[in-house]
Amino acid sequence: MELKPIIEVKDLHFSYKKSQILCGVDLHLFKGEVVSLLGPNGCGKSTLIKLILKLLYGKGEILLHEKSIEEYSHKEIASHIAYIPQYHHVPFGYSVLEMVLMGRVSKLGIFASPSSHDHFIALEALKKAGILGLKDRIFGQLSGGQKQLVLFARAIAQEVDTFIMDEPVNGLDYGNQMRLLEFIDELSREGYTFLKTTHYPDHALLISSRTVVMNGGKIISDGKPGEVITAPMIQDVYGVNAEIITHDAHKRCIPIFR
Amino acid sequence: MLHFLFDRTKENRYLAVGTVLLAAIAALSLLLGQYPIDFHTFMAYLNYKIYGIADIEIDTLALIDNIILEIRLPRILLAILVGAALATSGAVFQAMFVNPLVSPGILGVLAGASFGAACGMLISEQWFIVQALAFSFGFVAVGFAVLIGSAGANSRSTVMLVLGGVISGSLFTSLLSVVKYVADPYSVLPAITYWLMGSLSIAQLDEILLVSIPILFSILGMSFMGKYFDLLSLGDEEAKSLGINVKLIRIVAIILATLASSLSVVMAGIIGWVGLIIPHIIRMAIGPSNRLLVPLSAIFGGAFLLLADAVSRLALSVEIPIGILTSLIGIPIFIMVLKNAREAWN
Repeated sequence: MELKPIIEVKDLHFSYKKSQILCGVDLHLFKGEVVSLLGPNGCGKSTLIKLILKLLYGKGEILLHEKSIEEYSHKEIASHIAYIPQYHHVPFGYSVLEMVLMGRVSKLGIFASPSSHDHFIALEALKKAGILGLKDRIFGQLSGGQKQLVLFARAIAQEVDTFIMDEPVNGLDYGNQMRLLEFIDELSREGYTFLKTTHYPDHALLISSRTVVMNGGKIISDGKPGEVITAPMIQDVYGVNAEIITHDAHKRCIPIFR
Repeated sequence: MLHFLFDRTKENRYLAVGTVLLAAIAALSLLLGQYPIDFHTFMAYLNYKIYGIADIEIDTLALIDNIILEIRLPRILLAILVGAALATSGAVFQAMFVNPLVSPGILGVLAGASFGAACGMLISEQWFIVQALAFSFGFVAVGFAVLIGSAGANSRSTVMLVLGGVISGSLFTSLLSVVKYVADPYSVLPAITYWLMGSLSIAQLDEILLVSIPILFSILGMSFMGKYFDLLSLGDEEAKSLGINVKLIRIVAIILATLASSLSVVMAGIIGWVGLIIPHIIRMAIGPSNRLLVPLSAIFGGAFLLLADAVSRLALSVEIPIGILTSLIGIPIFIMVLKNAREAWN
């Protein structure tokens, strides 16, 4: 039986103010995958993600469960995909629990408030993210790592199986970066599917099942991280000398200064 | 297992306490005034109204009947309606623009609506035309404020929107002066001037009941949109990704908030500060969640204006226009809460 992709992008073009951001991108995401989108600043990674989430409109085809994204409302998309942005400032002092409950809004009727069932789901999500103890804290007063985990918990509370993330570890300290990657790895073992952008080739090597490299609005390679992330690719895309070494049967990318 | 920790009982309790408080203030206002009615007399009056039994002199009953039905009840209903409309619109505008510094007054809605209403008074005696023009120009004013506010590069700048509102408000205040200048100085001009100072005393019961329908409709509508407003504070993209139609919610909310605040201008003139202070105080007390903030703003906005009106009736032998009084009470309160309020929105 042939496996159907959750998301399929075909020949996608996007331009903004006369400059071409994406030119002919093809991408697919299958259930259970952890796909890392790698590429330099301005290569179109974030744009691609926004197009998939219908936050921008481009030319080409994007299918979600074999149906064009055009046919979905945002409410329907939110019942298939959870978007985890970079942690950011939120005005007004919402509590952590309130932030997570916001993940339930798409499931509520127009006149309904979150029920005790919604509260229960939100708490379970916080528990899963290991931050149940923070539930009554003010979101804005948390550390970057804690905030990112709250956004994860909100995505879990959405009760979907596909997560799309834009630079999830950005701005986090080294320890929090690693803990977050481990958390993603853990969730992927439970069957969640991930599409994430990243600035770090090493992170792609650490947890992704597939790596897609973008440059200049195009996908230049797509495959197993160990095969895609090579010294020539790093030189080509980032202009950095690097060596790919193998440690404990895992590949690592080491930058080298000359 | 954890269900019992939080269901909606906490929210419902706040709403219940607020409603009881509002009802108590309303009942008290019914008895207090230039001619105080004691509890005993009031019960006798009720007895007379319901069962037709006159325990006390029929002349006294007729006087009380007149005071309550013609003077106090319309005023109380109007105070609650106008206070609720202004405070709810304030809370909604703040959520809508993710900006704790805006209110119907600051965005220019009140100025726009008063210009529209004054134009209406000039050209027509029809109540409906006055209301329609007030709403239209209230809407134009907020649109103009948003347009100026988003002229810069950063479309979500807090300060730019406030500046846009200040400009829009001044524009319509100037236009209003033009209307006043051309108005008949013996009949229309005094009417416009006194009405603008803010008064709850001119309205008749039947007018109030008529205007209460669209106002209550908007307040109720806004109260149910609280959970969507919360998402807007995350930014438009994130709100969309969480499954809401951002554009539709913005348009509906701005229309409802403008409708409620414009109609409050038609009924009672310009009453400032209620729309800014009440949402701040509520947010300070119960947090930023709009699910509760919006309906509680309605309840406490009504209670605040009712109290202010009671002060205006009782404090001095001359009645102070309510618009002036809310500023006099509102400004010191706002200064007092400003420090805490800042913490609550950051």
